[in-house]
Amino acid sequence: MDPVDLDALAPRVYDELRRIAAAYMRRERPGQTLQATALVNEAYLRLAGAGTPWHDKQHFVGIAARSMRQILIERARARGAQKRWAGLDRVSLSESLAVAGDPEAMLPALDDALERLARIDAEQARIVELRYFAGLSIEETADALGISPATLKRRWALARAWLFRELTS
Amino acid sequence: MTADQYRRVRDLFEAAVEREPEHIRSWVAREAADDAAVRDEVLSLLDHHSRAGAFLSQAIVEAVPDLLADEPLAADTKIGPYAIVRELGRGGMGRVYLARDERLGRTVALKALAPHLVRDANQRERLKREARAAALLTHPGICTVYALEEFDGDLFMASEFVDGRTLRAEIAAGRTPSIPTIVATVRELGEALASAHRRGITHRDLKPENVMRTADGRVKILDFGLARVDAESAGAGSTFAAATLPGVLLGTPAYMAPEQLEGKPADARTDVFAYGVLIYEFICGVHPFEAGTALARAARVLDSEARPLDERRRDVPAAIAAVVDRCLRKQPADRYASAVEIVASLDRHGPVKSPRRNIVWWRLHQLTVIGLYFLAASVAWKIKEMRGNAIALWLFVTLCLIAAFVGIIRGHLVFTERMNQPRLAGERKRTDRARLAADLLIAAAVVIDGLVLAPITPLGGSLTMALGIAIALAAVLMEPATTEAAFGD
Repeated sequence: MDPVDLDALAPRVYDELRRIAAAYMRRERPGQTLQATALVNEAYLRLAGAGTPWHDKQHFVGIAARSMRQILIERARARGAQKRWAGLDRVSLSESLAVAGDPEAMLPALDDALERLARIDAEQARIVELRYFAGLSIEETADALGISPATLKRRWALARAWLFRELTS
Repeated sequence: MTADQYRRVRDLFEAAVEREPEHIRSWVAREAADDAAVRDEVLSLLDHHSRAGAFLSQAIVEAVPDLLADEPLAADTKIGPYAIVRELGRGGMGRVYLARDERLGRTVALKALAPHLVRDANQRERLKREARAAALLTHPGICTVYALEEFDGDLFMASEFVDGRTLRAEIAAGRTPSIPTIVATVRELGEALASAHRRGITHRDLKPENVMRTADGRVKILDFGLARVDAESAGAGSTFAAATLPGVLLGTPAYMAPEQLEGKPADARTDVFAYGVLIYEFICGVHPFEAGTALARAARVLDSEARPLDERRRDVPAAIAAVVDRCLRKQPADRYASAVEIVASLDRHGPVKSPRRNIVWWRLHQLTVIGLYFLAASVAWKIKEMRGNAIALWLFVTLCLIAAFVGIIRGHLVFTERMNQPRLAGERKRTDRARLAADLLIAAAVVIDGLVLAPITPLGGSLTMALGIAIALAAVLMEPATTEAAFGD
């Protein structure tokens, strides 16, 4: 992915994702969950129609996942996630992560860990962006990265194990 | 670890996760027999893989839906007749802004209610009903609700803008409040809550975050008419369930009464409990059911007794300790039926003696006595100069030493009383005898000085002796009297 491209386009993706998410939140019925993939798809449909220079949908999805990561981390930081994260001791921390207790609190720490992971294996970090931040399924993620779903599944397991260790140690 | 080693780790890990768990370790050990670093890394990752549970398994947007949608409004954004000035804060209910009502030209606090509260039509209706009821409350101790309005599908509550800081901030600052502040806070909050209870309106989310102290020192309760809906929409049961997850720190139900934690209906007595917790925490800086985690605290709320308030802080007026104690009873029936009864109880104990007025005499006494020391020292200096003999010199030196010592003690007590009141009783007790002894010694020295002076000027000698006797009487008679008036002992 061309980084210049990303820098230029990310703000529009940001705005679109935020707008759509806010609209979702308003009309959503209780008990229904916000689907991250639906969000990305809707943003794609809107922006693709507006004559934007996406190479293809895979390309867009990559940018959207990166944007989602940035928006969400930014927001979690603004909401004082680090403070809550710092308040957790080692034991409750690993328990909390294992039951996905307060996922918002861990976002800044996860972001830092993802940076470190990207330096070792950039593909792993992208998998996490697509799966966790853009909510893509195993198949969609495999498709976006051009690898087989079976391989993707194993790599995802590795990324999760690696990040889990980073966050709990 | 080199790139080659990393690739090996990755391949081994990926091959291993497909295998039967019981054979994994030995398999990895065999495969990476030549490289201990690779072997250990793979085993460590496999171990963390097996413990990762639900980690990252749900996309973050789905797990925390409001994270993405929760966009703060920029300055100058127009919401109906309101123009946003700046964001004041953010709570579970939504963001609060300072805004200007352009129709009336007044400043308001505008709360943008979180989308999850306004999704459902019933909930919306209930919120409006609650807001209408809350808008009827006009009490100096309650933040006035102006309107609940809907713009473009979003609900906004406009209310009086209260400039000040929350009791939470005061508690967090760690300075122990003085008795006069406590007495005033207990009463003002009790009266404000009572005025709502009299109209059948309960708060249901009373906590230090929801109480503001304005610049002129008065307290105001915020968010009447909101909490109830929030509590109901979340469902007390589900809130508790959430609190039972380890490490989950969503709006901890720290001020919930036992019946709320058990999912039973809440009423004015629930507010009474929260009031007790709040006052307790305000007075001694510690939650009465303090425990490491939200779950442990909830468990303590349900079945253990709080340490009595007057054990934590001895100088708390008995009437207040008794009120708090009764507010914290487990059974709603054992508490006051509403804040109206709290106020009645405070009244029955007589207006809690306002120590502010009485303490003035004690302070005045301390400062006057310090002044007398200076006077005595300068008189002794003068006598030494006039007589120029050894006795006068020694009297002067002794007097100065003792006066400096006891003067510092008194200064320290006055300072402690102003700045660190909880320690005052202890400090007074510790220095009681020393002060009395020092005063009597000073008095004796001054009287002897008077005798030394008398041969030269009988009048000066008599006056000096009178000063000595005055210092002795102040120590023996006035000190106990002003102390009793100020502290009741």
